[in-house]
Amino acid sequence: MAVAPMDTIAPVQQSPHSKDTGGGRRARINGHLLRLPFYLLALTMIAPFYWLLITVFKPPRELARTPPSFVPESPTFANFYDPEWSAQAINPGHLQGIFQRYQVDFGFWRFMFNSIVITTSITVGSLLICSLAAYVIAKHDIKGRRTIFLLIIASMMVPWQTTLIPNYVIMRNLGWLDSYAAYIVPALAKAFVLFFLVQFLQSIPNELIQAARVDGAGEWRIWWRIVLPLLRPALAAMSIFIVLAEWNNFLWPLIIVQSDEMANIPVALARLNSYFGGPDHQGAIMAGGLLASVPTIVFFLIFQKYFTKGIALSGLKG
Amino acid sequence: MASPIPLRGRLRRYGTSYAMLLPFLALFAGFLLWPLANSLYLSFTKFDGINPAAFTGVDNFVQLASDARFRHALGNTALYVVGSVVLGTLLSLGLALAFNGTGWLHRIMRTVFFLPSVTSSIALMLMWKWVLYPSDVGLANTIVDWLGGNAVAWLATPGLTIPILVLMSVWGGMGYGMVLYVAGLGSIPQEYYEAAKIDGASTWRQFRHITLPLLRPVTTYVVVTGLIGAFQVFEAVYIVFSQGANTIGGVLDSGLMIVPYLYDQGFTHFRLGYASAIAWVLFLIIFVLSLINLRVGRAMKEL
Repeated sequence: MAVAPMDTIAPVQQSPHSKDTGGGRRARINGHLLRLPFYLLALTMIAPFYWLLITVFKPPRELARTPPSFVPESPTFANFYDPEWSAQAINPGHLQGIFQRYQVDFGFWRFMFNSIVITTSITVGSLLICSLAAYVIAKHDIKGRRTIFLLIIASMMVPWQTTLIPNYVIMRNLGWLDSYAAYIVPALAKAFVLFFLVQFLQSIPNELIQAARVDGAGEWRIWWRIVLPLLRPALAAMSIFIVLAEWNNFLWPLIIVQSDEMANIPVALARLNSYFGGPDHQGAIMAGGLLASVPTIVFFLIFQKYFTKGIALSGLKG
Repeated sequence: MASPIPLRGRLRRYGTSYAMLLPFLALFAGFLLWPLANSLYLSFTKFDGINPAAFTGVDNFVQLASDARFRHALGNTALYVVGSVVLGTLLSLGLALAFNGTGWLHRIMRTVFFLPSVTSSIALMLMWKWVLYPSDVGLANTIVDWLGGNAVAWLATPGLTIPILVLMSVWGGMGYGMVLYVAGLGSIPQEYYEAAKIDGASTWRQFRHITLPLLRPVTTYVVVTGLIGAFQVFEAVYIVFSQGANTIGGVLDSGLMIVPYLYDQGFTHFRLGYASAIAWVLFLIIFVLSLINLRVGRAMKEL
């Protein structure tokens, strides 16, 4: 699970406490000595990941052995897909890979598909809806926008769990339990995203929009052709937050999902974990965990720049 | 810009604006404002999800006040919140000070500490469960074995539950705090340090009188968002410590906290009214914390 260094996190300046600037070799060694506890801490960061990674490639027999091996002695891909496995075997759950474990069509692919559909729809949908509203609040001189904006800011103080039970009841009454709609529709209006986009738009001069109006462009056209392109860095930063949150969403799916078919990856993995606890099955469970992490890590690598910018922006502006 | 346009003209002029606001406002009202009001109402009722909610006044809150499990959950949450936020903030700052340079070593270290923030959270929880496996096949017990100790039942020892939850939280969150602190450090003008050096200020005094005060907004943000997040912990308890629906809080409820208890009452015992009351206690706690953080006034002034 190698991740490239985060070039963009670092501000260009050197650390005020870095001894590298003037002190020469002895100071540099001192600096490393001071950082020694953190290097040790870094080892504890890596160790569990390494443990996960080697578990994925160990056959069950090796997993149940003490003391454990630190390099897989007989590495295998069977935790992903087990060619030896058949339903007629005496203990069918025993060696089965992650893609064969579930009694649903396409096995683990089904949950990947669900998670991708849900995450993509929520990200695209909420960015469109929130950017529309943000454009009006930031750039249109309409009555009541202060009240609306204040209400939206105030709502950011509501932990979403407070609305969990009524929303569950709404989903049930609409007959939406166990559907993509229950995942997607309630997640579209994101107060924080709107707040962030409004702040970003306020820093953009009105002249650009005025000029387009003078040229006779309609408001929808201005939004699509001018506002959205201007918002691109903000949208990228927000999309990372949304993707990470929705990909990992667990409590809400846990409540609205009944069938195995409609589970997202976190719910599917949690179920797998509660059905099979022993060391024999850890290889397959970890394989699922690894696959669950790959998309967000790849996404992070692609959008690194926006990622850290988004964190910094949202964090420092308060 | 209060121009005296007649109503019809205003409608024509602003109709598009309201149409553009509509999708957001409709969803916002339907899935946030209305449910919020509804959960407040439900918190004053007895509601099992099937029969109509029966108004019972403040009964739920009275019951909560004397509910030993709830009080236990609050106590656990308080311990967890304090532990994870204090440790997490200190380590975030420490990491940022240690690794805020542009060299390859610093960049790699930042990436290492940030890795949990981009890894699937359920995968991390399952990973921890496997690391803390009770027999010697687990990583933690293998290390204990090297040190000459006996295998520890990590997840079945009540006294270890909160420390383990704090550890998992700090391990997973300090990289995120570090990124914020690194950004904060980068915004401090170097001239301050140069001036201080000319005055002969020691490194410690520079840190104490320049770095720390100028990082205060970051610290406030890290602490308050950390508090808010910690109060809402659920997955770590549910995945790592719960053994099925009956022991949501781990052994002897040693890991029972607010949101797991809310889930337990609402969705395993179907006491939706009671669970709503718990939800409102959570709301009040987080509301107070958010008031500190969100400078509503400033945001409004900018509008």
